[in-house]
Amino acid sequence: MQACFHRHALLRLTVLAGLVAGALMPCGTGSLRAEERRTNDSADELRFFEQKIRPLLVEHCYECHSEEAGEQQGGLLLDRRSGWIEGGDTSKAVVPGEPDTSLLITAIRYDNDDLQMPPEQRLDDEAIALFEQWVRRGAHGPADDMGETEFSRLGDQDYLFDQAENHWAFQPVRPVEIPSPGAIDTEHERWGENAIDCFVLDALSSAQLTPSPPADATTLTRRLYCDLTGLPPTFEQVTAFQEATEVDPDGATPRLIDQLIESPEFGQHLGRLWLDVVRYADTDNNYRPDTRTPHYHPFAFSYRDYVVRSLNNDKPYDQFLKEQIAADLMGFAGDAPEMAALGFYASGPYSSRAQNEALDDWIDVTTRGLMGITVACARCHDHKFEPVPTADYYSLRGVFAAVARVNPLDETKQPVLTSYQPTPSQSADFAKKRSAIEAKINGAAGKKAKNNNRPIAQKIRETELAELLTFHPGAPERAMVVAERKQPPESFVFVRGDAAARGEAVPRRFLKILDPQQHAFPETNSGRLQLADKIASPDNPLTARVFVNRVWGYLIGSHLVDTPSDFGLQGAPPTHPRLLDWLADDFIRHDWSVKHLVRRIVMSQTYQQSSRTRETAAVVDPENRWLWRANRKHLTIEVIRDSMLLVAGRLDRRIGGHPERLWGDDYTRRRAIYGFINRFNLDPTLRAFDFPAPVQTQPARGESIVAQQALFLMNSPLVIDQAAAIASADALTRIEGDEAKVEFLFRTILGREPVAAEVSRTLKLVEFQQRFQKPDRPQTRFIVSPWPLVAQALLMSNEFQYVD
Amino acid sequence: MNPFVSRRQLLQSTSLGSIALASLLHEPAEAGRAPEESPLSQQSPHFPARVKRVIHLFMNGGPSQMDTFDRKPELNRLDGKPLPDSVKKQLQPTQRNRAGNLFGSPFQFKRYGECGLEVSELFPNVARHADDLCVIRSMQGEIANHTPGLLLTNCGHATLPRPSLGSWLLYGLGNESDELPGFVVLCPRGLPTAQSRNWTSAFMPGVYQGTHIDTENTGKQIVANLTRDDVRPGSQRAQLALTQFLNQRHAAQRPGDERLESRIHTMELAFRMQSAGTDAFDLSQEPAHIRELYGETTQGRNMLYARRLAERGVRYIQCYHGGGQPWDNHGSIVRNITRLAKESDQPIAALLTDLKQRGMLDETLVIWGGEMGRTPTVQQVKDPTKVGRDHHIDGYTVWMAGGGVRGGMTYGATDELAMAVTENKVTMPDFHATVLHQLGFNHKRLTYRYSGRDFRLTDVHGRVIDTILNS
Repeated sequence: MQACFHRHALLRLTVLAGLVAGALMPCGTGSLRAEERRTNDSADELRFFEQKIRPLLVEHCYECHSEEAGEQQGGLLLDRRSGWIEGGDTSKAVVPGEPDTSLLITAIRYDNDDLQMPPEQRLDDEAIALFEQWVRRGAHGPADDMGETEFSRLGDQDYLFDQAENHWAFQPVRPVEIPSPGAIDTEHERWGENAIDCFVLDALSSAQLTPSPPADATTLTRRLYCDLTGLPPTFEQVTAFQEATEVDPDGATPRLIDQLIESPEFGQHLGRLWLDVVRYADTDNNYRPDTRTPHYHPFAFSYRDYVVRSLNNDKPYDQFLKEQIAADLMGFAGDAPEMAALGFYASGPYSSRAQNEALDDWIDVTTRGLMGITVACARCHDHKFEPVPTADYYSLRGVFAAVARVNPLDETKQPVLTSYQPTPSQSADFAKKRSAIEAKINGAAGKKAKNNNRPIAQKIRETELAELLTFHPGAPERAMVVAERKQPPESFVFVRGDAAARGEAVPRRFLKILDPQQHAFPETNSGRLQLADKIASPDNPLTARVFVNRVWGYLIGSHLVDTPSDFGLQGAPPTHPRLLDWLADDFIRHDWSVKHLVRRIVMSQTYQQSSRTRETAAVVDPENRWLWRANRKHLTIEVIRDSMLLVAGRLDRRIGGHPERLWGDDYTRRRAIYGFINRFNLDPTLRAFDFPAPVQTQPARGESIVAQQALFLMNSPLVIDQAAAIASADALTRIEGDEAKVEFLFRTILGREPVAAEVSRTLKLVEFQQRFQKPDRPQTRFIVSPWPLVAQALLMSNEFQYVD
Repeated sequence: MNPFVSRRQLLQSTSLGSIALASLLHEPAEAGRAPEESPLSQQSPHFPARVKRVIHLFMNGGPSQMDTFDRKPELNRLDGKPLPDSVKKQLQPTQRNRAGNLFGSPFQFKRYGECGLEVSELFPNVARHADDLCVIRSMQGEIANHTPGLLLTNCGHATLPRPSLGSWLLYGLGNESDELPGFVVLCPRGLPTAQSRNWTSAFMPGVYQGTHIDTENTGKQIVANLTRDDVRPGSQRAQLALTQFLNQRHAAQRPGDERLESRIHTMELAFRMQSAGTDAFDLSQEPAHIRELYGETTQGRNMLYARRLAERGVRYIQCYHGGGQPWDNHGSIVRNITRLAKESDQPIAALLTDLKQRGMLDETLVIWGGEMGRTPTVQQVKDPTKVGRDHHIDGYTVWMAGGGVRGGMTYGATDELAMAVTENKVTMPDFHATVLHQLGFNHKRLTYRYSGRDFRLTDVHGRVIDTILNS
């Protein structure tokens, strides 16, 4: 924070040092041989630089063009000779001997309207003349030239490629030897059974830490249910598991894990992880100002259902990726369910109708989302920190520019899928409503809106019809597809990202760092199939590692690589590099099976250990980097919402179909993954609970703790409703006695028996409220029964929102 | 008390990467926040801040500069004359083809204050504060349309999703209030064009985004889930006590987890916010003379809410004139701008007066302006009684008041036909750099690391306009 104060002070010091050095330079001794005369000449030049030029540079240029200031705007450094000789993004800044062709001189003369330096004010003529003289004399550099430094190498792709050669994430995924567990004490004997645990234990031992004991059966049941299905277990399920572990301590846990992984809720929960990565939503990120409605994506839900189905069917991850990138080129029938996978691209934000931004999103979701490499940073120049030349960006842009987008409302180009089947009565109702709207559209034929001259029929299609197609359960499901353009356009580098400034032509091909041979994709089409093959390949060092890390983070609550969408040179290094590699290799060997990967992780003692803190370990590793305990996880807003509906006995578990409203008077009782996601105006409740804005691919969710979340729990109709439903359920009203009712509520909502202190404290609220129940009290608008308030108090508790 | 906390994941994008970069640059890491810090805890800026808060009066739609604060006598003289083709070329392509004849301002200008600032008859009350206003007449936009203009003005980029100025301030300064959100957007009648993208936190954590409040609503509907009315306050307190009893037990059995404590605190905060929020928006607490000063109108209430929020520690308050883009006077500009100015003149003047008499003006930066200005030509409209002006981004006017800016001055100028900036061009990055400066930030050092690089509100641009600041 103090750097800004020190900067000028530092600069002055540097200058002084330079001046002193310059002044001392010529005081050498010896005879005047030719060699030394040259030295002497150059000493004159150095003196000229240090005395005349450097002070001007310091005063006018170094704030933006020096290492001391930490700035090299336009890629230009003026604190060393190599800086002005090699120049910045634009080109060489100085051509020694030729002031008139030197950009630096052009800039300071203010000859060119677009290039005027320093920007604040033109230098005086005397200063400009000095610079001209300096260039004419050969633009000699400082006495103590810094040459190449880390700083000046920013954006130097040769250097970055050298660095990348040894970077962990770019090394092939190879089998890793499992460390021998060494001496395991009796407390942790099971830690030698699972490869994951051997790696974790090895790292723990190096940090002089030990693992925690296993979580108790109650805790483990809740953890497994929440992590694998996104729904907490019922009291009965907890009890059943406890009993099962007593009967069969070794078999009960694997059985429960298999049962949960095979349940349809598995895909509904894990699918949400993927939907964050692919910035899923049901609308575009823009709206129609005249009708004040979003641009609907009525068929986006087919993609969401494809994701859930693929996870539930354990579709191999490589196949899953290939279909999303190129299903239309893989030989599937035009109406095959796999065509829905193309929603990966088609359902993305089309931004402000600007092709460049839409293509940027596709490049970003493909590279950062699937491979953890930040290619989108290379749009305007070679990447400053990663081995990604700008040509890479435009190679991929060439791929996607050859893809035709389909208007999301154009039903003729989006095939009907049979994977969703409305009931006959739903279909009939839809047909009726549709024909009413069609009649309205026909009636409006030829009419135009007064304010902006848009056809009224068009407006009705975009609003009423689009809404019907989006929400009506009888509306058919269609695949949101993309298509190939007839003639793939040639791709050019846009200099500084400016579409008007075409640079070299670049063929469609894969990233240079991952395909050094730079094989061009076929000229006849977009090359998406080749791109898919390159990404979903066991030889791609990033794809498996990135996905394994995402799943690990979802289940463990912290990532092995803390920057899940950035595995590049600037990304965080893995805490357990060998474990990450082992998991990636194991994942690929097991046919990219996501269920296998999940099972591997949750079967580990690492996953199953207690989340309780231990003082000694917490001192050594407060962040639990080395996994000496399980992480306590906050449930997502989706899981909180679904859990409330579940414990209220009102959760609708149906799978798939059209989006429905999450809040408001007509809120759906279906799982939150089926909620309508409005990209252009994200729901405030979702936002308050860290649901990521679906405008770009999201690395991971954070956990914020803000008052709006508590207000939601205290005052939102959804929570109040569920509390009321629990309180009015027969199961509760049938129970005699307040104490028994309290016990029932703890079992139903928190899945456990209350302890005596909790019962007596709860009874205080019951008593407080019962005073309003006396028959002689006048009628008011206030709730008199204590039970909805008690039920809500439990729903609001931290215990309900966290999983140990 | 600090009720907010986050896991390290929350700010992970500022963690290892930026430390690596910082060491590369031989600088201390100063991305604004350490990864372990809570995202809303109060922070010191780079240097002592000149102001505590910003009130941004957003005349969304784009108010006409030559009808308000940038008098153009030559334009008036040439009123009705065709625009020479050579000059027409200066217009943005979208406006060029539909530009009609020159259109002088039908409004009279007078000089006000000791400084003699020229202000049109549309703003007689605001004009009385002439000696406090710093009028910038040389704003330069990028794309002559509303969404790009709004996004540029609010978030520093005309097209890409970037965090808004308010989000940057919350990220850099934290929240002063523990009862109210730190970034509040007041907009009557729905959302402005570009909607929530105007106050997005984009890739920053969601806690930094603005809280939008539709000030057309009144009383308790004004904040989502702020209160419920089917439970006695006493019953709700007793209910919360039970929840907190359970939470305390739960936390006691799980020592070392700050989040659990934070949630307990936050629940208390939320309980207080029920009344604090209700209180902030309860104008009946204001004495009659204050309500009269502002006027009992939508705009009057909007400005009064702004002052009440400012008093309660809200950092960044944005007041839009209304939903959509009300100042977008393509047609019937004389009638429309007269109405719009009449709606806002008294309330804005009242806000300045009120802040001043409470000693708050000096610590508050008040900004007035839109996302662009309007053309000096008529937009071709068939009916001559309904003429309007088109979008114009080359030299439009905004003004600032209070907080360390020099009052009674103008900065920058446009040519005599108001076609383009002739001196001291101010770009949005310059403007943002200046605002950040007043809040204690070097705009080049307020960075947030995301997707492999350090982002700034001003990207690689921006210079502080020193001339308009009190030294």
